[in-house]
Amino acid sequence: MLSHLVVAQSLYFGDSLFYIVCFILLMWLIKIFAWKPITKMMSDRADKISNDIDSAEKSRTDAAALVAKRQSALNASHAEAAEIVQTAKSNGQEQRDQIMAQAQADVQSLKTSAQKDIDQEREDALSHAKDDVASLSIEIASKIIQRELNADDQKALIDSYIEGLGKQHES
Amino acid sequence: MNDGPVSTFQFLGLTFSTANVVSGTIVFLIAVAVIFFASRHISMKPSKGQNFLEWLIEFTNGILKGSIPADQVSSFGLYGFTLFLFLFLSNQLGLFLQLTFHGATIVRSPTSDPIVTLTFSLMTMMLAQFSGVQRLGYKKHFANYLKPFVFWLPISIFEEFTNFLTLGLRIFGVIFSGEMLLKVIWGLATSHGIATMIVAVPIEMIWQGFSAFLGAIQAFVFVTLSTVYISQKIEEE
Repeated sequence: MLSHLVVAQSLYFGDSLFYIVCFILLMWLIKIFAWKPITKMMSDRADKISNDIDSAEKSRTDAAALVAKRQSALNASHAEAAEIVQTAKSNGQEQRDQIMAQAQADVQSLKTSAQKDIDQEREDALSHAKDDVASLSIEIASKIIQRELNADDQKALIDSYIEGLGKQHES
Repeated sequence: MNDGPVSTFQFLGLTFSTANVVSGTIVFLIAVAVIFFASRHISMKPSKGQNFLEWLIEFTNGILKGSIPADQVSSFGLYGFTLFLFLFLSNQLGLFLQLTFHGATIVRSPTSDPIVTLTFSLMTMMLAQFSGVQRLGYKKHFANYLKPFVFWLPISIFEEFTNFLTLGLRIFGVIFSGEMLLKVIWGLATSHGIATMIVAVPIEMIWQGFSAFLGAIQAFVFVTLSTVYISQKIEEE
């Protein structure tokens, strides 16, 4: 039963040599066909995956920063809008006050000038009426006197009268 | 039973066993074919064959990482991969293909012959010695034999021989006994016609499956122990 065992017969050193050659040849073929390209591809893939992870992380932080920026811009625009509305309101208030004050002032001045005009008018009318009454009374008086005075007396009388008028006017 | 004469031939003054040469050639061709056809169209997105090879490379590298420092794995990765592939295919060959020609077996598992397994064992031992000298230098390498103390030297030297023998004979024993039991069961199956055939064939199939499992385990164990022996030599104790 042990007859087929190599140790029971002469050692086949040829087989050893054959297997060593086979093994080294196989190792060489595997290195050329599979080992080199596949390990290279595996390391390339590992690099690519780590790069992808890095870039994903980077784009994530970029996106977060962008969101924060947008949020702050939005908040700023809200505040700006509120400020604009506030300014417009205060401007309107100011303008309204100004217009009211102007209108009041206008009315006041109009009123005073109208009062002044009225006073002037009344004064004028009064003085006119005075003059008219004076000249009318003179006319009446002259008409009454005309019958009794001659031309010289009349002239003297009129002159004295005119003089009197001038004095009266001066005073 | 394997009682036929062993067919041998002489070449360049060396004796060759026909069975070993033929079986070894078949294993070699199968290995080359598997590697060649699986490694076509290597791309970033792996195809079927590439996936298989990558898985196998990861597997053998994983074995190596178990005992060899991670930065040195790459220098022994190809050795471990080739060793595992060759031994695995060798272990399986005899389970499915056994040819006898003129009464002499010419195709069987190459690993069911101790000269083959001891050849691989010797290769591992020599690689271990070579790597030890290469990485540590002659002085430190041989100083390791004197550790933990000088009187340990005979035991250290003896250990080298026992490692060499156990590594080769373990796989031989398992594969040889597996094949022998297959032959015994087949002898039982054909001994008394159809009745024994019905009983023995399922047993034969179960044993074949178990042997396939054992063959894979032994290839794994051989590579694991090889890396352990190499790691002992490339590290300073």
